[in-house]
Amino acid sequence: MENLLPQQAGLQVNTVLYKYSTIKNPEDPLLVTIQNENAVDGGYIFRETDDWTGLPGNSIFKVVGVGGQPIEYWGNGEIIWEGVGDVVDPSVIYTYQYDTCFDPQTDPSCPGYKVEIPDIPSVETVDPLDDTIIQDEIDREMTMRDEDEEERERKDMEQKEDDEEEVDLETVLGIVERSLQNAQDTAKHNQVMALNQFSNLYYQQIPDTVYRETIQLKDATMPRNNRGRSLLIAQDVLHNKLVKSQFKGER
Amino acid sequence: MFKKILAATIAMTAISAQALDAPIVGNVESKCVVTLDRQGVYGNPSASVLSTDSIDGGVQPVIRYDVVIANAYKAVITHPSSFSQSPALTDTIAWTGSTEVEAVSDAQMSAYDTSKIEYDSTTEIDLEYTGSTWFKVSSEADYGISKALPGGTYTAIVQANCIAI
Repeated sequence: MENLLPQQAGLQVNTVLYKYSTIKNPEDPLLVTIQNENAVDGGYIFRETDDWTGLPGNSIFKVVGVGGQPIEYWGNGEIIWEGVGDVVDPSVIYTYQYDTCFDPQTDPSCPGYKVEIPDIPSVETVDPLDDTIIQDEIDREMTMRDEDEEERERKDMEQKEDDEEEVDLETVLGIVERSLQNAQDTAKHNQVMALNQFSNLYYQQIPDTVYRETIQLKDATMPRNNRGRSLLIAQDVLHNKLVKSQFKGER
Repeated sequence: MFKKILAATIAMTAISAQALDAPIVGNVESKCVVTLDRQGVYGNPSASVLSTDSIDGGVQPVIRYDVVIANAYKAVITHPSSFSQSPALTDTIAWTGSTEVEAVSDAQMSAYDTSKIEYDSTTEIDLEYTGSTWFKVSSEADYGISKALPGGTYTAIVQANCIAI
């Protein structure tokens, strides 16, 4: 019946309507049974037998009330007959009803509907850092980082020491060189002085005298130098001639 | 004058207080219901014939009897013997017909076909079982001696009664 009745919770079958036709001779015995198995308690939940014995064949259309039997009780149905004759054009109709709000939880519009709070499953959180492989890798990276840092610090320290050593050496060399220079300068000076070829003026102290500006020029009108201008013009003319003569020579 | 009217009013009041009508109402619902389940149609297989046979293009009317009490009623069905509506006819019509059980709600009703009583155009069946019985009625009209029926609408009536025994 799963493929016949809608699988609605609370569905009840109220009536079974069936029809069929018998083909038989009036004197022949014939029993026709329409039945449905009881899917819960066994046996049959519906069983109707028509006795056509001694009757002419005909069509039967029968309505049988079953009083609202729940859907879960309705098992497979069948039409069987025993005797002499035949059954043709059988048809069985089940009338049913169901409450769409039989289970209020099926529709929020049903009275009595309760908003369900879903059970949130407790999920065991797995910290990937707890994984030994990952932890080992992290430890390895940390170790490498520490080693790199130590190496870098060591190199920085060495570099710093080298720099300091270089500075000290240069300073020392500078001092030494300056001392040597001074010594050489002093020796050369002594040698020159030993020659005694310098005049006394060489040794004379020059007095620290300040020579002040004594000439003061008074503002006056400067006369026009016409001669100088004429000379300047003549030089320009001569210059232009010289330049032009170069181009003439090219032609 | 005023005193006389007052006296008459009191007298009428006294009379209405002494008389009482107590109606008893009862409704009787019919225990036999006759219903036309299928409308009949005449086919016109030849110029002179009207028939409800499906082979002739007609439809047999089906009448249902619903009986609540067994052995209390009989079905009386009369197939047509004249047209209730037709064009003007100038010749006679030969009517034939029958009433048979089409379907039953109880196998025992199948015996109605063998126990029915037929006379003239009428069939009487004692309704011995409770339930529904479907009767189909056939009707055929032959006009004249193979004379063509005039064009128009033809209507004939099947009378179906449920009579208390």
